[in-house]
Amino acid sequence: MARKIAGGFGKQAALALALACLLMPASRAEDLGAPPVAPPMSPPCDVPAADIAAPATLPIVTQALQNGEKVRILAIGSSSTLGYGASSKDMSYPAQLETILEHALKGVDVVILNRGVSGEVAEDTAERIRSEVALRNPDLVLWQLGTNDALARVPPQEFEDTVRSTIRWLKENRIDVVLVGVQYTVRLARDANYAAIRDSLQKIAAEENILYVRRYDAMRFIAQTRANLQLMAGDNFHLNDLGYQCMAEHVAHAMIVSLFVKRVRPARN
Amino acid sequence: MRAPNEIDFWRGFALVTIFINHIPGVYFERFTFRNVSLSDSAELFVFLAGWAMRKLMDGPARALPAKWLVLRLETRAFQVYVAQMVVTALAIALLAAAALCLDAPFLLDWHNASAVFNDPIKAHIGLVLLTHQLGYFNILPLYVVLLFIAPAVALLHRHAPALLLLASPAIYAAALVFGVNLPTWPVEGTWFLNPLAWQLIYVLGFLLAGEDGIGGFARRRHAILRWLALPVVALGVAVGMTDFSPDPVYLPEPKLFFTFDKTFLSPARLIHSLALTAIFAGTFKIIGRWLPRPSGYLCLLGRNSLNVFCALSLLSLGGQIVRYIYGGNVASDAFIVILGILLMGFIAWAAEWRERLRAALANKPLSP
Repeated sequence: MARKIAGGFGKQAALALALACLLMPASRAEDLGAPPVAPPMSPPCDVPAADIAAPATLPIVTQALQNGEKVRILAIGSSSTLGYGASSKDMSYPAQLETILEHALKGVDVVILNRGVSGEVAEDTAERIRSEVALRNPDLVLWQLGTNDALARVPPQEFEDTVRSTIRWLKENRIDVVLVGVQYTVRLARDANYAAIRDSLQKIAAEENILYVRRYDAMRFIAQTRANLQLMAGDNFHLNDLGYQCMAEHVAHAMIVSLFVKRVRPARN
Repeated sequence: MRAPNEIDFWRGFALVTIFINHIPGVYFERFTFRNVSLSDSAELFVFLAGWAMRKLMDGPARALPAKWLVLRLETRAFQVYVAQMVVTALAIALLAAAALCLDAPFLLDWHNASAVFNDPIKAHIGLVLLTHQLGYFNILPLYVVLLFIAPAVALLHRHAPALLLLASPAIYAAALVFGVNLPTWPVEGTWFLNPLAWQLIYVLGFLLAGEDGIGGFARRRHAILRWLALPVVALGVAVGMTDFSPDPVYLPEPKLFFTFDKTFLSPARLIHSLALTAIFAGTFKIIGRWLPRPSGYLCLLGRNSLNVFCALSLLSLGGQIVRYIYGGNVASDAFIVILGILLMGFIAWAAEWRERLRAALANKPLSP
């Protein structure tokens, strides 16, 4: 049954994608040859920039771009990173993000390693981050988190301590970090723990001065303005291909805006 | 049924700690020793597994010819493997049932389970190959691998003990230098507890349990080792309380030697775990005298560690589901923890009761 549902939504997503592609070339063309600006979002995913993230600097990635090096990104988190609900691995948000970033950064080699483990709480991801970082030495860690801590009823203070100490460790390690927050679902919109974890993420990001992609706000904007657009898979909780496309576009938008926030441009451009 | 002893006691202690540590956010987690320590119960559990194997080798299996020893150890590995399969199947069913009953599809994600539902063809192969492990169900797969290689450890120890002393640290060092770990599949990644690194603490447990060699040395010099261990454990308390970890930028390569990595069992964690052992080895006599009933209870759990381990894995998952439904507070968390520990005791008691019943029946002629 699951397969059938997935197939159904796959078709919808394909339709939406086709629609997006039809509308996109015009906005893409304007970009060619221009200095790197935030990549345009496709119509189904388009949300006001203020609903995605407040820009923050990404000094290590900026440095890598200036040196003309490839950008190595570790995408870690739970099912939204793994790509549960996507039709294939290539449709997971890290895979789509890699393509978008390479396009937007005009030829820079971006390598994104996907280390999503579904249903994992931040405390366990933090343990894996340390291990993966020691081995891979990435420029940036994209950490998608929050939902499972809210569902496991991890006290927000405990969650905050875990996330904060990991962020500080990453900073000491001279690695940029981007937090990718919880998604919007009607089901959990009124869950007190869910709201508390969201508040913690906002607080951590502001105090640690790091980039935080507010998926919840971005997805809620889409849900409220384009109610008939289906971003969710058959279980009405995980994202479908289009949902992951929007997620990738939002993260890419936030990153690019942050990268060029001080008009720093890669040396090769 | 064995009389209460030190190894069963600490095993029981490790089992209770693992149960509590495997319920994220539970109030009583703050009282487990990992909060004031660099290492946790996983190290203790694996160390004791090596220790128990040495006791088997020096005791009942002393005169066993090599081929029977291999068979004995491999059948035990198979037994643990089967336990892992059963407990994983039950955990998956528990998550699926909870997801259906509570109309909560996100429960299907918990603990890396999503591939089982989303990519079942590959995931089922991964489950039996141990390349797909549920989070928090990753200690038994490590144990299966260690038991699988146990005959090599045992035979090396019998015939070339020097080689064992050399090979085990060499494999460990190579794993850390080159970052080698077993892969997971179909979910791209590596084992959470790397057997290539963790075999060292297993082998050290095996060696230290012996009356001769480094085990004999440690016994003769126990007083000095205790004094040496004291600052290490004190440092562990400071690190645990301040959440300190070394600034990796200034660490030389290979960094895994200097970080506090759990997957690769970094030397800091290993040394800390051994220091804890040095400090607490022998204290069972005192604990057993002052707290006979609680220590007897932990021994009961430790004697039946495989059964209890399987039970606690499912109980901690059950506890997480209860916390999802009712939220977490001190009272409900106390209920979960007390009930869990009582059920672990019941499982252990039932296993021993069956043994006793079987022994009693074996002595009686069958009635017509």
